[in-house]
Amino acid sequence: MTDTASSAPARTGLTAAALVGPATAVVALGVLGPLALLARYSVNKYDPYEFMIAAVSPENYVQFFTDPFYLAAFWTTIRISVLCTAVCIVAGFPLAYVLARTQSRFKNLMIIGVVVPLFVGNAVRAAGWMTLLGSRGFLSVSLERLGITQGPTEIMYSELAVILGIIAVNLPYMVLTLQSVIEGISRNLEEAAFSMGASPATMFRRVLWPMALPGVAAGTILTFILAMNAYATPVLLGGPEFHMMAPLIYDQFQLNNWPFSAAVAFILMASTLALTVAAGIATRQRFRT
Amino acid sequence: MSVLPDRRRLGRWALNGAAGLAFLYILIPLIFVTWLSVYAQEIPSYPPEGYSLRWYGAGIANDRFLSAFWTSTQVGVIATLIGLVVALPAALALNRYKLFLGGAISNLLLMPLIVPGIVLGFALYVFQVETEIATGLPIIGSFWGIVFGHVLLVIPWTVRLILASLAGFDRTLEEAAQNLGADRLTTFRRVTVPSILPGIVAGCLFGFVSSFGNLEVSLFLVAPGQTTLPIAILQYLEWRIDPSVAAVSVMQIAVIAVALLVTDRFVKISRVV
Repeated sequence: MTDTASSAPARTGLTAAALVGPATAVVALGVLGPLALLARYSVNKYDPYEFMIAAVSPENYVQFFTDPFYLAAFWTTIRISVLCTAVCIVAGFPLAYVLARTQSRFKNLMIIGVVVPLFVGNAVRAAGWMTLLGSRGFLSVSLERLGITQGPTEIMYSELAVILGIIAVNLPYMVLTLQSVIEGISRNLEEAAFSMGASPATMFRRVLWPMALPGVAAGTILTFILAMNAYATPVLLGGPEFHMMAPLIYDQFQLNNWPFSAAVAFILMASTLALTVAAGIATRQRFRT
Repeated sequence: MSVLPDRRRLGRWALNGAAGLAFLYILIPLIFVTWLSVYAQEIPSYPPEGYSLRWYGAGIANDRFLSAFWTSTQVGVIATLIGLVVALPAALALNRYKLFLGGAISNLLLMPLIVPGIVLGFALYVFQVETEIATGLPIIGSFWGIVFGHVLLVIPWTVRLILASLAGFDRTLEEAAQNLGADRLTTFRRVTVPSILPGIVAGCLFGFVSSFGNLEVSLFLVAPGQTTLPIAILQYLEWRIDPSVAAVSVMQIAVIAVALLVTDRFVKISRVV
Protein backbone atom coordinates (compact mmCIF):
# COMPACT_ATOMS: atom_id res chain seq x y z
CA MET A 1 0.00 0.00 0.00
CA THR A 2 2.73 2.46 0.99
CA ASP A 3 4.54 2.39 -2.36
CA THR A 4 1.47 3.08 -4.45
CA ALA A 5 0.02 5.56 -2.00
CA SER A 6 3.10 7.76 -1.92
CA SER A 7 4.24 7.55 -5.53
CA ALA A 8 0.97 7.49 -7.41
CA PRO A 9 -2.01 8.88 -5.56
CA ALA A 10 -3.98 8.90 -8.80
CA ARG A 11 -3.52 5.16 -9.18
CA THR A 12 -4.60 4.59 -5.56
CA GLY A 13 -7.74 6.58 -6.22
CA LEU A 14 -8.40 4.47 -9.27
CA THR A 15 -7.89 1.22 -7.35
CA ALA A 16 -10.21 2.39 -4.58
CA ALA A 17 -12.84 3.42 -7.09
CA ALA A 18 -12.57 0.09 -8.88
CA LEU A 19 -13.03 -1.76 -5.58
CA VAL A 20 -15.96 0.21 -4.25
CA GLY A 21 -17.49 0.96 -7.66
CA PRO A 22 -19.46 -2.21 -8.43
CA ALA A 23 -21.30 -2.37 -5.09
CA THR A 24 -22.05 1.35 -5.18
CA ALA A 25 -23.32 1.08 -8.75
CA VAL A 26 -25.56 -1.89 -7.92
CA VAL A 27 -27.16 -0.15 -4.93
CA ALA A 28 -27.45 3.20 -6.71
CA LEU A 29 -29.06 1.49 -9.70
CA GLY A 30 -31.27 -0.70 -7.52
CA VAL A 31 -32.35 1.78 -4.84
CA LEU A 32 -31.71 5.42 -5.75
CA GLY A 33 -32.76 5.13 -9.41
CA PRO A 34 -36.01 3.25 -8.70
CA LEU A 35 -36.88 5.56 -5.79
CA ALA A 36 -36.39 8.61 -8.01
CA LEU A 37 -38.62 7.04 -10.64
CA LEU A 38 -41.24 6.26 -7.98
CA ALA A 39 -41.13 9.89 -6.80
CA ARG A 40 -41.80 10.95 -10.38
CA TYR A 41 -44.73 8.53 -10.62
CA SER A 42 -46.24 9.90 -7.42
CA VAL A 43 -47.02 13.25 -9.07
CA ASN A 44 -48.55 11.64 -12.15
CA LYS A 45 -52.30 11.36 -12.62
CA TYR A 46 -54.32 8.17 -12.72
CA ASP A 47 -57.07 7.46 -15.15
CA PRO A 48 -59.07 4.20 -15.05
CA TYR A 49 -58.99 3.95 -18.84
CA GLU A 50 -55.61 5.35 -19.74
CA PHE A 51 -53.85 4.00 -16.63
CA MET A 52 -51.21 6.66 -15.94
CA ILE A 53 -51.01 10.18 -17.34
CA ALA A 54 -47.77 12.14 -17.09
CA ALA A 55 -48.30 15.27 -14.99
CA VAL A 56 -46.85 17.27 -12.16
CA SER A 57 -49.69 17.45 -9.72
CA PRO A 58 -50.04 17.16 -5.93
CA GLU A 59 -53.39 15.45 -6.50
CA ASN A 60 -52.44 12.06 -5.01
CA TYR A 61 -51.00 13.57 -1.85
CA VAL A 62 -54.02 15.85 -1.44
CA GLN A 63 -56.36 12.92 -1.99
CA PHE A 64 -54.59 10.91 0.71
CA PHE A 65 -54.83 13.61 3.34
CA THR A 66 -58.43 14.53 2.57
CA ASP A 67 -59.95 11.05 2.38
CA PRO A 68 -61.09 9.72 5.80
CA PHE A 69 -60.39 6.12 4.72
CA TYR A 70 -56.71 6.72 4.03
CA LEU A 71 -56.30 9.03 7.01
CA ALA A 72 -57.73 6.32 9.25
CA ALA A 73 -55.16 3.83 7.92
CA PHE A 74 -52.45 6.45 8.50
CA TRP A 75 -53.43 7.05 12.14
CA THR A 76 -53.92 3.33 12.80
CA THR A 77 -50.38 2.70 11.57
CA ILE A 78 -48.92 5.42 13.80
CA ARG A 79 -50.99 4.42 16.84
CA ILE A 80 -50.02 0.75 16.55
CA SER A 81 -46.36 1.57 15.93
CA VAL A 82 -46.10 3.82 19.00
CA LEU A 83 -47.89 1.30 21.21
CA CYS A 84 -45.84 -1.69 20.01
CA THR A 85 -42.59 0.24 20.40
CA ALA A 86 -43.49 1.24 23.98
CA VAL A 87 -44.33 -2.35 24.89
CA CYS A 88 -41.06 -3.54 23.30
CA ILE A 89 -39.02 -1.17 25.49
CA VAL A 90 -40.73 -2.30 28.71
CA ALA A 91 -40.79 -6.01 27.85
CA GLY A 92 -37.39 -6.05 26.16
CA PHE A 93 -35.28 -4.44 28.85
CA PRO A 94 -35.44 -7.22 31.50
CA LEU A 95 -34.67 -9.93 28.92
CA ALA A 96 -31.82 -7.90 27.41
CA TYR A 97 -30.40 -7.31 30.89
CA VAL A 98 -30.56 -10.98 31.87
CA LEU A 99 -29.00 -12.05 28.53
CA ALA A 100 -26.22 -9.49 28.91
CA ARG A 101 -25.35 -10.47 32.49
CA THR A 102 -25.91 -14.21 32.52
CA GLN A 103 -22.97 -16.55 33.08
CA SER A 104 -24.95 -19.53 31.81
CA ARG A 105 -23.33 -21.86 29.34
CA PHE A 106 -26.57 -21.75 27.40
CA LYS A 107 -26.20 -18.03 26.76
CA ASN A 108 -25.45 -18.50 23.05
CA LEU A 109 -28.33 -20.91 22.68
CA MET A 110 -30.67 -18.38 24.32
CA ILE A 111 -29.44 -15.69 21.94
CA ILE A 112 -30.04 -17.99 18.98
CA GLY A 113 -33.54 -18.51 20.38
CA VAL A 114 -34.05 -14.76 20.12
CA VAL A 115 -32.43 -14.54 16.66
CA VAL A 116 -34.14 -17.47 14.88
CA PRO A 117 -37.62 -15.88 14.84
CA LEU A 118 -36.07 -12.78 13.23
CA PHE A 119 -35.23 -14.75 10.14
CA VAL A 120 -38.18 -17.08 10.06
CA GLY A 121 -40.39 -14.68 8.17
CA ASN A 122 -43.54 -12.98 9.32
CA ALA A 123 -45.92 -15.23 7.40
CA VAL A 124 -44.70 -18.29 9.29
CA ARG A 125 -45.06 -16.53 12.61
CA ALA A 126 -48.55 -15.37 11.64
CA ALA A 127 -49.46 -19.05 11.18
CA GLY A 128 -48.45 -19.64 14.80
CA TRP A 129 -50.65 -16.79 15.99
CA MET A 130 -53.57 -18.11 13.93
CA THR A 131 -53.28 -21.45 15.76
CA LEU A 132 -53.24 -19.72 19.12
CA LEU A 133 -55.83 -16.99 18.56
CA GLY A 134 -58.36 -18.47 16.15
CA SER A 135 -61.96 -18.92 17.32
CA ARG A 136 -61.31 -22.65 17.78
CA GLY A 137 -57.68 -22.09 18.74
CA PHE A 138 -55.82 -22.86 21.93
CA LEU A 139 -56.62 -19.61 23.75
CA SER A 140 -60.33 -19.49 22.95
CA VAL A 141 -60.94 -23.14 23.85
CA SER A 142 -58.85 -22.93 27.04
CA LEU A 143 -60.70 -19.83 28.25
CA GLU A 144 -64.02 -21.52 27.59
CA ARG A 145 -62.99 -24.69 29.44
CA LEU A 146 -61.82 -22.72 32.45
CA GLY A 147 -65.24 -21.12 32.54
CA ILE A 148 -63.86 -17.61 32.02
CA THR A 149 -65.75 -17.07 28.79
CA GLN A 150 -68.89 -18.49 27.25
CA GLY A 151 -68.63 -19.28 23.59
CA PRO A 152 -65.62 -18.72 21.37
CA THR A 153 -63.33 -15.70 21.82
CA GLU A 154 -62.49 -14.15 18.47
CA ILE A 155 -59.18 -12.33 18.64
CA MET A 156 -58.07 -13.06 15.09
CA TYR A 157 -58.74 -10.37 12.48
CA SER A 158 -58.66 -7.51 14.94
CA GLU A 159 -56.34 -4.69 15.89
CA LEU A 160 -55.39 -6.60 19.04
CA ALA A 161 -54.17 -9.59 17.00
CA VAL A 162 -52.05 -7.29 14.83
CA ILE A 163 -50.58 -5.61 17.91
CA LEU A 164 -49.74 -8.96 19.53
CA GLY A 165 -48.13 -10.11 16.28
CA ILE A 166 -46.07 -6.99 15.66
CA ILE A 167 -44.75 -6.98 19.25
CA ALA A 168 -43.50 -10.54 18.78
CA VAL A 169 -41.86 -9.57 15.47
CA ASN A 170 -40.13 -6.48 16.87
CA LEU A 171 -39.20 -7.60 20.38
CA PRO A 172 -36.07 -9.52 19.27
CA TYR A 173 -34.67 -6.41 17.56
CA MET A 174 -35.14 -4.39 20.75
CA VAL A 175 -33.65 -7.13 22.94
CA LEU A 176 -30.56 -7.61 20.77
CA THR A 177 -29.91 -3.87 20.51
CA LEU A 178 -30.27 -3.34 24.27
CA GLN A 179 -28.28 -6.44 25.12
CA SER A 180 -25.21 -5.31 23.17
CA VAL A 181 -25.32 -1.90 24.89
CA ILE A 182 -25.84 -3.33 28.40
CA GLU A 183 -22.90 -5.68 27.87
CA GLY A 184 -20.76 -2.60 27.40
CA ILE A 185 -21.79 -1.18 30.79
CA SER A 186 -19.46 -2.38 33.51
CA ARG A 187 -21.04 -4.54 36.19
CA ASN A 188 -18.80 -2.69 38.69
CA LEU A 189 -20.84 0.48 38.24
CA GLU A 190 -23.94 -1.36 39.39
CA GLU A 191 -22.11 -2.88 42.35
CA ALA A 192 -20.77 0.56 43.26
CA ALA A 193 -24.31 1.95 43.35
CA PHE A 194 -25.47 -0.97 45.51
CA SER A 195 -22.53 -0.68 47.90
CA MET A 196 -23.40 2.96 48.46
CA GLY A 197 -26.86 1.89 49.54
CA ALA A 198 -28.88 2.36 46.38
CA SER A 199 -31.94 0.16 45.99
CA PRO A 200 -32.24 -1.79 42.71
CA ALA A 201 -34.85 0.74 41.55
CA THR A 202 -32.55 3.68 42.28
CA MET A 203 -29.60 1.93 40.67
CA PHE A 204 -31.71 1.32 37.55
CA ARG A 205 -32.98 4.89 37.42
CA ARG A 206 -29.68 6.66 38.16
CA VAL A 207 -27.04 4.32 36.65
CA LEU A 208 -28.28 1.63 34.30
CA TRP A 209 -31.03 3.47 32.42
CA PRO A 210 -29.02 6.64 31.67
CA MET A 211 -26.07 4.58 30.45
CA ALA A 212 -28.28 2.31 28.36
CA LEU A 213 -30.09 5.28 26.82
CA PRO A 214 -28.20 5.23 23.50
CA GLY A 215 -29.22 1.59 23.08
CA VAL A 216 -32.80 2.37 24.03
CA ALA A 217 -32.83 5.12 21.40
CA ALA A 218 -31.36 2.86 18.71
CA GLY A 219 -33.76 0.02 19.54
CA THR A 220 -36.74 2.38 19.64
CA ILE A 221 -35.95 3.81 16.21
CA LEU A 222 -35.46 0.34 14.74
CA THR A 223 -38.66 -1.17 16.16
CA PHE A 224 -40.70 1.92 15.32
CA ILE A 225 -39.57 1.84 11.68
CA LEU A 226 -40.30 -1.90 11.46
CA ALA A 227 -43.78 -1.43 12.92
CA MET A 228 -44.57 1.41 10.50
CA ASN A 229 -43.50 -0.79 7.57
CA ALA A 230 -45.18 -4.01 8.73
CA TYR A 231 -46.81 -5.90 5.88
CA ALA A 232 -47.42 -9.62 6.42
CA THR A 233 -48.60 -9.33 10.04
CA PRO A 234 -51.44 -6.84 9.36
CA VAL A 235 -52.47 -8.71 6.20
CA LEU A 236 -52.69 -12.12 7.86
CA LEU A 237 -53.73 -11.23 11.42
CA GLY A 238 -55.80 -8.12 10.68
CA GLY A 239 -57.83 -9.59 7.86
CA PRO A 240 -59.33 -7.75 4.89
CA GLU A 241 -61.15 -5.09 6.94
CA PHE A 242 -58.04 -3.90 8.74
CA HIS A 243 -55.86 -1.26 7.10
CA MET A 244 -52.27 -0.18 7.61
CA MET A 245 -49.94 1.74 5.33
CA ALA A 246 -47.72 -0.98 3.82
CA PRO A 247 -50.61 -3.25 2.80
CA LEU A 248 -52.34 -0.15 1.40
CA ILE A 249 -49.39 0.43 -0.95
CA TYR A 250 -49.63 -3.12 -2.28
CA ASP A 251 -53.44 -3.00 -2.61
CA GLN A 252 -53.36 0.23 -4.62
CA PHE A 253 -50.59 -1.24 -6.76
CA GLN A 254 -52.77 -4.26 -7.50
CA LEU A 255 -55.66 -1.94 -8.40
CA ASN A 256 -53.27 -0.48 -10.99
CA ASN A 257 -53.32 2.97 -9.41
CA TRP A 258 -49.55 3.30 -9.44
CA PRO A 259 -49.35 7.08 -8.97
CA PHE A 260 -51.43 6.96 -5.79
CA SER A 261 -49.58 3.90 -4.53
CA ALA A 262 -46.27 5.71 -5.11
CA ALA A 263 -47.57 8.74 -3.21
CA VAL A 264 -48.55 6.51 -0.25
CA ALA A 265 -45.04 5.01 -0.32
CA PHE A 266 -43.47 8.45 0.04
CA ILE A 267 -45.96 9.54 2.71
CA LEU A 268 -45.05 6.41 4.67
CA MET A 269 -41.29 7.01 4.39
CA ALA A 270 -41.55 10.75 5.10
CA SER A 271 -43.81 10.35 8.13
CA THR A 272 -41.61 7.59 9.56
CA LEU A 273 -38.55 9.78 9.14
CA ALA A 274 -40.28 12.87 10.56
CA LEU A 275 -41.58 11.04 13.64
CA THR A 276 -38.18 9.42 14.27
CA VAL A 277 -36.38 12.77 14.07
CA ALA A 278 -39.02 14.52 16.20
CA ALA A 279 -38.79 11.82 18.88
CA GLY A 280 -34.99 12.15 18.84
CA ILE A 281 -35.14 15.92 19.35
CA ALA A 282 -37.78 15.63 22.10
CA THR A 283 -35.74 13.01 23.99
CA ARG A 284 -32.54 15.02 23.74
CA GLN A 285 -34.21 18.17 25.09
CA ARG A 286 -35.84 16.31 27.93
CA PHE A 287 -32.61 14.71 29.10
CA ARG A 288 -30.46 17.79 28.70
CA THR A 289 -32.47 19.81 31.19
CA MET B 1 -24.53 -14.07 46.58
CA SER B 2 -26.38 -16.58 48.76
CA VAL B 3 -26.97 -14.08 51.55
CA LEU B 4 -28.75 -11.54 49.40
CA PRO B 5 -31.26 -9.51 51.38
CA ASP B 6 -34.82 -10.73 50.84
CA ARG B 7 -35.89 -7.75 48.83
CA ARG B 8 -33.01 -8.13 46.42
CA ARG B 9 -33.70 -11.80 45.99
CA LEU B 10 -37.32 -11.04 45.27
CA GLY B 11 -36.21 -8.44 42.76
CA ARG B 12 -34.00 -11.01 41.06
CA TRP B 13 -36.91 -13.42 40.77
CA ALA B 14 -39.10 -10.69 39.30
CA LEU B 15 -36.36 -9.79 36.82
CA ASN B 16 -35.82 -13.38 35.72
CA GLY B 17 -39.56 -13.92 35.52
CA ALA B 18 -40.06 -10.88 33.30
CA ALA B 19 -37.14 -11.96 31.10
CA GLY B 20 -38.52 -15.50 30.84
CA LEU B 21 -41.94 -14.20 29.82
CA ALA B 22 -40.46 -12.00 27.09
CA PHE B 23 -38.35 -14.94 25.84
CA LEU B 24 -41.41 -17.18 25.79
CA TYR B 25 -43.43 -14.50 24.00
CA ILE B 26 -40.84 -14.29 21.22
CA LEU B 27 -41.00 -18.06 20.76
CA ILE B 28 -44.80 -18.46 21.08
CA PRO B 29 -45.55 -18.24 17.33
CA LEU B 30 -42.87 -20.83 16.55
CA ILE B 31 -44.08 -23.14 19.32
CA PHE B 32 -47.67 -23.06 18.09
CA VAL B 33 -46.82 -23.49 14.43
CA THR B 34 -44.72 -26.53 15.39
CA TRP B 35 -47.56 -27.91 17.48
CA LEU B 36 -50.05 -27.46 14.64
CA SER B 37 -47.73 -29.30 12.25
CA VAL B 38 -48.23 -32.54 14.18
CA TYR B 39 -52.04 -32.33 14.57
CA ALA B 40 -53.68 -35.46 13.23
CA GLN B 41 -56.74 -33.79 11.71
CA GLU B 42 -56.80 -31.23 8.93
CA ILE B 43 -58.86 -28.55 10.68
CA PRO B 44 -56.71 -26.53 13.09
CA SER B 45 -59.12 -26.70 16.02
CA TYR B 46 -57.90 -27.28 19.55
CA PRO B 47 -57.66 -29.84 21.09
CA PRO B 48 -56.15 -32.05 18.36
CA GLU B 49 -57.77 -35.43 17.79
CA GLY B 50 -54.34 -37.00 17.87
CA TYR B 51 -50.86 -36.53 16.56
CA SER B 52 -49.29 -37.47 13.27
CA LEU B 53 -46.25 -36.69 11.17
CA ARG B 54 -48.05 -37.23 7.89
CA TRP B 55 -48.33 -33.49 7.16
CA TYR B 56 -44.60 -33.32 6.66
CA GLY B 57 -44.95 -35.77 3.82
CA ALA B 58 -47.94 -33.83 2.48
CA GLY B 59 -46.01 -30.56 2.70
CA ILE B 60 -43.05 -31.97 0.78
CA ALA B 61 -45.33 -33.60 -1.78
CA ASN B 62 -47.07 -30.28 -2.49
CA ASP B 63 -45.66 -29.13 -5.85
CA ARG B 64 -46.22 -25.46 -5.12
CA PHE B 65 -44.21 -25.54 -1.91
CA LEU B 66 -41.50 -27.72 -3.40
CA SER B 67 -40.91 -25.56 -6.47
CA ALA B 68 -41.14 -22.42 -4.33
CA PHE B 69 -38.51 -23.89 -2.01
CA TRP B 70 -36.17 -24.50 -4.97
CA THR B 71 -36.73 -21.01 -6.36
CA SER B 72 -35.97 -19.48 -2.96
CA THR B 73 -32.84 -21.59 -2.55
CA GLN B 74 -31.50 -20.80 -6.03
CA VAL B 75 -32.24 -17.08 -5.72
CA GLY B 76 -30.70 -16.99 -2.24
CA VAL B 77 -27.48 -18.80 -3.21
CA ILE B 78 -26.88 -16.84 -6.42
CA ALA B 79 -27.77 -13.48 -4.84
CA THR B 80 -25.44 -14.22 -1.91
CA LEU B 81 -22.53 -15.10 -4.20
CA ILE B 82 -23.00 -11.95 -6.30
CA GLY B 83 -23.46 -9.90 -3.14
CA LEU B 84 -20.19 -11.27 -1.74
CA VAL B 85 -18.26 -10.63 -4.95
CA VAL B 86 -19.23 -6.94 -4.99
CA ALA B 87 -19.28 -6.38 -1.21
CA LEU B 88 -15.86 -7.81 -0.34
CA PRO B 89 -13.83 -5.33 -2.46
CA ALA B 90 -16.14 -2.51 -1.40
CA ALA B 91 -15.60 -3.29 2.28
CA LEU B 92 -11.82 -3.48 1.72
CA ALA B 93 -11.81 -0.09 -0.01
CA LEU B 94 -13.99 1.52 2.66
CA ASN B 95 -11.71 0.14 5.37
CA ARG B 96 -8.37 1.11 3.77
CA TYR B 97 -8.73 4.21 1.67
CA LYS B 98 -9.89 7.66 2.61
CA LEU B 99 -12.55 7.71 -0.06
CA PHE B 100 -14.14 10.78 -1.49
CA LEU B 101 -17.68 10.60 -0.02
CA GLY B 102 -16.66 7.44 1.84
CA GLY B 103 -19.23 8.03 4.60
CA ALA B 104 -21.99 8.61 2.08
CA ILE B 105 -21.05 5.44 0.19
CA SER B 106 -21.13 3.23 3.27
CA ASN B 107 -24.53 4.68 4.20
CA LEU B 108 -25.76 4.07 0.65
CA LEU B 109 -24.67 0.43 0.85
CA LEU B 110 -26.77 -0.04 4.01
CA MET B 111 -29.79 1.68 2.49
CA PRO B 112 -31.64 -1.42 1.25
CA LEU B 113 -32.12 -2.36 4.94
CA ILE B 114 -33.69 1.01 5.74
CA VAL B 115 -36.07 1.51 2.83
CA PRO B 116 -39.36 -0.32 3.61
CA GLY B 117 -39.45 -3.68 1.82
CA ILE B 118 -42.78 -2.88 0.18
CA VAL B 119 -41.48 0.44 -1.16
CA LEU B 120 -38.21 -1.10 -2.38
CA GLY B 121 -40.11 -3.88 -4.17
CA PHE B 122 -42.55 -1.46 -5.77
CA ALA B 123 -39.76 0.91 -6.85
CA LEU B 124 -37.76 -1.97 -8.35
CA TYR B 125 -40.82 -3.17 -10.21
CA VAL B 126 -41.61 0.16 -11.86
CA PHE B 127 -37.91 0.52 -12.64
CA GLN B 128 -37.89 -2.87 -14.32
CA VAL B 129 -41.03 -1.99 -16.25
CA GLU B 130 -39.45 1.22 -17.57
CA THR B 131 -36.21 -0.58 -18.38
CA GLU B 132 -38.07 -3.30 -20.23
CA ILE B 133 -40.01 -0.73 -22.25
CA ALA B 134 -36.81 1.16 -23.06
CA THR B 135 -34.63 -1.82 -23.98
CA GLY B 136 -37.06 -4.55 -25.01
CA LEU B 137 -35.25 -7.07 -22.76
CA PRO B 138 -37.48 -9.54 -20.90
CA ILE B 139 -36.86 -8.41 -17.32
CA ILE B 140 -40.20 -8.32 -15.50
CA GLY B 141 -40.89 -11.49 -13.60
CA SER B 142 -37.63 -13.05 -14.80
CA PHE B 143 -35.36 -15.09 -12.57
CA TRP B 144 -32.55 -12.54 -12.87
CA GLY B 145 -34.96 -9.74 -12.04
CA ILE B 146 -35.64 -11.40 -8.67
CA VAL B 147 -31.94 -12.13 -8.16
CA PHE B 148 -31.08 -8.46 -8.71
CA GLY B 149 -33.58 -7.43 -6.03
CA HIS B 150 -32.15 -9.98 -3.62
CA VAL B 151 -28.54 -8.92 -4.28
CA LEU B 152 -29.65 -5.56 -2.85
CA LEU B 153 -30.87 -7.32 0.30
CA VAL B 154 -27.59 -9.25 0.68
CA ILE B 155 -25.17 -6.33 0.21
CA PRO B 156 -25.88 -4.51 3.53
CA TRP B 157 -25.24 -7.69 5.55
CA THR B 158 -22.02 -8.68 3.77
CA VAL B 159 -20.61 -5.15 3.77
CA ARG B 160 -21.48 -4.60 7.43
CA LEU B 161 -20.08 -7.87 8.75
CA ILE B 162 -16.92 -7.84 6.61
CA LEU B 163 -16.24 -4.25 7.69
CA ALA B 164 -16.64 -5.33 11.33
CA SER B 165 -14.08 -8.11 10.77
CA LEU B 166 -11.66 -5.76 9.01
CA ALA B 167 -11.83 -3.32 11.91
CA GLY B 168 -10.27 -5.96 14.16
CA PHE B 169 -7.63 -7.04 11.62
CA ASP B 170 -3.99 -6.14 12.29
CA ARG B 171 -2.56 -4.77 9.05
CA THR B 172 1.04 -5.28 10.12
CA LEU B 173 0.44 -8.97 9.35
CA GLU B 174 0.11 -8.04 5.68
CA GLU B 175 3.31 -6.01 5.80
CA ALA B 176 5.09 -8.94 7.42
CA ALA B 177 3.92 -11.25 4.63
CA GLN B 178 5.09 -8.82 1.98
CA ASN B 179 8.45 -8.37 3.71
CA LEU B 180 8.84 -12.12 3.52
CA GLY B 181 8.41 -11.92 -0.24
CA ALA B 182 4.71 -12.58 -0.80
CA ASP B 183 3.14 -10.60 -3.62
CA ARG B 184 -0.12 -8.72 -3.06
CA LEU B 185 -2.38 -11.46 -4.33
CA THR B 186 -0.70 -14.12 -2.19
CA THR B 187 -0.88 -11.83 0.83
CA PHE B 188 -4.57 -11.28 0.24
CA ARG B 189 -5.25 -14.97 -0.29
CA ARG B 190 -3.11 -16.40 2.50
CA VAL B 191 -3.24 -13.68 5.16
CA THR B 192 -6.15 -11.27 4.73
CA VAL B 193 -8.92 -13.66 3.71
CA PRO B 194 -8.26 -16.25 6.46
CA SER B 195 -8.26 -13.49 9.08
CA ILE B 196 -11.58 -12.01 8.04
CA LEU B 197 -13.19 -15.36 7.19
CA PRO B 198 -15.61 -15.23 10.15
CA GLY B 199 -17.01 -11.95 8.85
CA ILE B 200 -17.28 -13.32 5.33
CA VAL B 201 -19.07 -16.49 6.45
CA ALA B 202 -21.42 -14.63 8.78
CA GLY B 203 -22.16 -12.00 6.13
CA CYS B 204 -23.00 -14.67 3.56
CA LEU B 205 -25.23 -16.63 5.93
CA PHE B 206 -27.13 -13.58 7.14
CA GLY B 207 -27.43 -12.39 3.54
CA PHE B 208 -28.72 -15.77 2.43
CA VAL B 209 -31.18 -16.06 5.29
CA SER B 210 -32.58 -12.57 4.73
CA SER B 211 -32.96 -13.31 1.02
CA PHE B 212 -34.54 -16.71 1.72
CA GLY B 213 -37.08 -15.25 4.15
CA ASN B 214 -37.86 -12.09 2.19
CA LEU B 215 -41.48 -11.50 1.34
CA GLU B 216 -42.10 -7.85 0.53
CA VAL B 217 -39.53 -7.29 -2.23
CA SER B 218 -40.17 -10.65 -3.91
CA LEU B 219 -43.92 -9.98 -3.92
CA PHE B 220 -43.46 -7.42 -6.70
CA LEU B 221 -40.79 -9.26 -8.68
CA VAL B 222 -42.09 -12.80 -9.10
CA ALA B 223 -43.99 -13.99 -12.15
CA PRO B 224 -47.40 -15.62 -11.61
CA GLY B 225 -46.18 -19.20 -12.07
CA GLN B 226 -42.95 -18.80 -10.15
CA THR B 227 -43.05 -17.93 -6.47
CA THR B 228 -40.64 -18.01 -3.57
CA LEU B 229 -41.35 -19.97 -0.40
CA PRO B 230 -42.45 -17.02 1.80
CA ILE B 231 -44.91 -15.92 -0.90
CA ALA B 232 -46.25 -19.46 -1.30
CA ILE B 233 -46.81 -19.61 2.47
CA LEU B 234 -48.46 -16.16 2.57
CA GLN B 235 -50.81 -16.95 -0.33
CA TYR B 236 -51.74 -20.27 1.24
CA LEU B 237 -52.44 -18.64 4.62
CA GLU B 238 -54.61 -15.93 3.07
CA TRP B 239 -56.84 -18.72 1.90
CA ARG B 240 -56.67 -21.29 4.69
CA ILE B 241 -54.55 -22.63 7.52
CA ASP B 242 -53.92 -26.33 8.04
CA PRO B 243 -51.14 -28.57 9.38
CA SER B 244 -49.43 -29.01 6.00
CA VAL B 245 -48.52 -25.31 5.73
CA ALA B 246 -47.38 -25.51 9.36
CA ALA B 247 -45.15 -28.47 8.49
CA VAL B 248 -43.60 -26.52 5.61
CA SER B 249 -43.06 -23.59 8.00
CA VAL B 250 -41.35 -25.85 10.54
CA MET B 251 -39.00 -27.13 7.86
CA GLN B 252 -38.13 -23.53 7.01
CA ILE B 253 -37.52 -22.78 10.69
CA ALA B 254 -35.25 -25.84 10.88
CA VAL B 255 -33.20 -24.76 7.84
CA ILE B 256 -32.70 -21.31 9.33
CA ALA B 257 -31.90 -22.58 12.82
CA VAL B 258 -29.24 -24.93 11.41
CA ALA B 259 -27.76 -22.11 9.31
CA LEU B 260 -27.53 -19.93 12.43
CA LEU B 261 -26.00 -22.71 14.54
CA VAL B 262 -23.35 -23.22 11.82
CA THR B 263 -22.68 -19.48 11.71
CA ASP B 264 -22.33 -19.46 15.48
CA ARG B 265 -19.33 -21.80 15.17
CA PHE B 266 -17.51 -19.25 13.03
CA VAL B 267 -18.54 -16.08 14.75
CA LYS B 268 -20.50 -15.47 17.93
CA ILE B 269 -23.96 -14.40 16.79
CA SER B 270 -24.38 -12.19 19.84
CA ARG B 271 -21.62 -9.98 18.46
CA VAL B 272 -22.84 -9.51 14.90
CA VAL B 273 -26.59 -8.99 14.99
